[in-house]
Amino acid sequence: MPGSLPPPPPPPKVPMVAVTNVTKAYGDVVAVSDVTFTVGPGITALLGPNGAGKSTLFRMMCGLAPPTRGTVHVLGQNARTNAEVRGKIGLAPQQDALFDRLSALEFVEMMALTHGVADARAAAIHALGLVDLDVNEPKGVGSYSKGMRQRVKLAAALVNDPEVLILDEPLTGLDPVQRRRMIELFHELADLGKCVLVSSHVLDEVARLGSEVLVIAQGRLAATGDFHALRNQMDDRPHRLHVEVDDPRRLGAALFDRGLVSGVAVVGDALECTTPDVDRFGRQLAPTAKELGIRLRVMRSLDDDLESVFRYLVER
Amino acid sequence: MAGTVSGIRTIAITYRILIRQLVTTGRMIALSLIGLAVVLVGWSVGNAERNEFFLDAESIATLRQEDAVFIISLIGFTILVPVVALVFAAATLGDMREDGTLLYLWLRPMPRWAVAVGAWLSSLTISLPLTLIPLGLTALALDTDTELVVATLLATAIGVIAYTALFVLLGTLVRNAIVWGLGYVIIWEGIVAAFGTAAAKVAVRGYTSSILTARTDIEIEVGNSTQTTAILVPLLIALGALTLASLRLGSLEVE
Repeated sequence: MPGSLPPPPPPPKVPMVAVTNVTKAYGDVVAVSDVTFTVGPGITALLGPNGAGKSTLFRMMCGLAPPTRGTVHVLGQNARTNAEVRGKIGLAPQQDALFDRLSALEFVEMMALTHGVADARAAAIHALGLVDLDVNEPKGVGSYSKGMRQRVKLAAALVNDPEVLILDEPLTGLDPVQRRRMIELFHELADLGKCVLVSSHVLDEVARLGSEVLVIAQGRLAATGDFHALRNQMDDRPHRLHVEVDDPRRLGAALFDRGLVSGVAVVGDALECTTPDVDRFGRQLAPTAKELGIRLRVMRSLDDDLESVFRYLVER
Repeated sequence: MAGTVSGIRTIAITYRILIRQLVTTGRMIALSLIGLAVVLVGWSVGNAERNEFFLDAESIATLRQEDAVFIISLIGFTILVPVVALVFAAATLGDMREDGTLLYLWLRPMPRWAVAVGAWLSSLTISLPLTLIPLGLTALALDTDTELVVATLLATAIGVIAYTALFVLLGTLVRNAIVWGLGYVIIWEGIVAAFGTAAAKVAVRGYTSSILTARTDIEIEVGNSTQTTAILVPLLIALGALTLASLRLGSLEVE
């Protein structure tokens, strides 16, 4: 359009967390390998299977562990050496340990005190309210269920109104209603301009967070970007399927002739198929079998689990 | 909303948290029973009949005091004081490090030295009554001399101050600090310190026993330092241990 300028690009996100060429090794075991990324305000999910290095990255961000190589900065500072920046971080760790003899209110109030919060009692009551926990419960948190302990950890992470919130598998142990409530809460915090980092090994959880995603696999950054773009990318990969039928050889040949599979192998009385278009394969399989008079017993994906998604992302 | 936390405030917060965590029924009963056993030993020795009819009253008093110093040094300063201090002090930062709760104090805008001091004070608070009361009663049961009781209480307090600081440090250095600490108590304080006065100078027990010997004029092999030295050295050990614990807190990897 003559005379008009293109719309300005969106302002770049201020990096609230900067991880630069970070490697973390424990002896010969490399937990995190040469990872670089920045994270700004909003929700960012660290997605990866158990043992991928997510918690190690979080620990380094908080300064709990120093990187073997590289630098980790939160709000421009090293949390390991800068006390002030530690006061701006809220961490809900993955491990379940709490001060079990304290009630939820006592625990969260203590955590407020450790952050130098002026009215610690009021802040604790507010934080417990955010996670729907009863402030009048006198029992020690040691007697709480896993879901309640998880919410106590979240309240403790929120009590200092942190600028950077680091939540390691925060939805574990929560029931569906609590999960929905917590996801809403994370969005509310993100809308306030806070940096909310959430780790998960469950694809659906990350889908519901609808956020930027960092995919971590085998200690490396396997992919990064908007979740939906990433999901599409994952869906475009070749899929492997296991199909149990009466006559696998005949069905396999037919599927290949019709271009529904790029590869097929007969394993016992089953077929293992590789298809570039899983939706078309799913639509055409049953009609093809019916047309040939072959009875279809079982069909299941061999690589719909998260591990295989990560493997695909890492190997591509 | 939040800010940095002063050293004094950090000590108070750490202290409040740990006092609640450390005082468990099981620990209190077990350690009170050990204290009771020490009192019973003192009472049985103090009331034992002896063939002392050929000695004058002064010699009998000296003999009784020798027995008392020996028993308090052997059972009190070799077993009760270090074991009670170990159980509570190693459970402060050591247990927190192992169960993962240390991050709730570590990832905070609080000075490390104050966390170490708060941990030490909490273990000291619980260990003192569990050692002072039984050893004071033991001294009374063994010998009614006030000087022995005062010396026992002073030496116990000094010993607890040093041991709790050492075991707070140990908890930041190694996993299973209780096991390592027991090894130290048995091998170093129990066996090595008994090899003579030179060996006793590198064990806390040598100084606690020296306070007893200095105040009662009863000589035993493990304690021949002057009273001033016997008080100052354990205090310096405590100071050094807490300094190292603070430095270690700053450098360790928190789970």
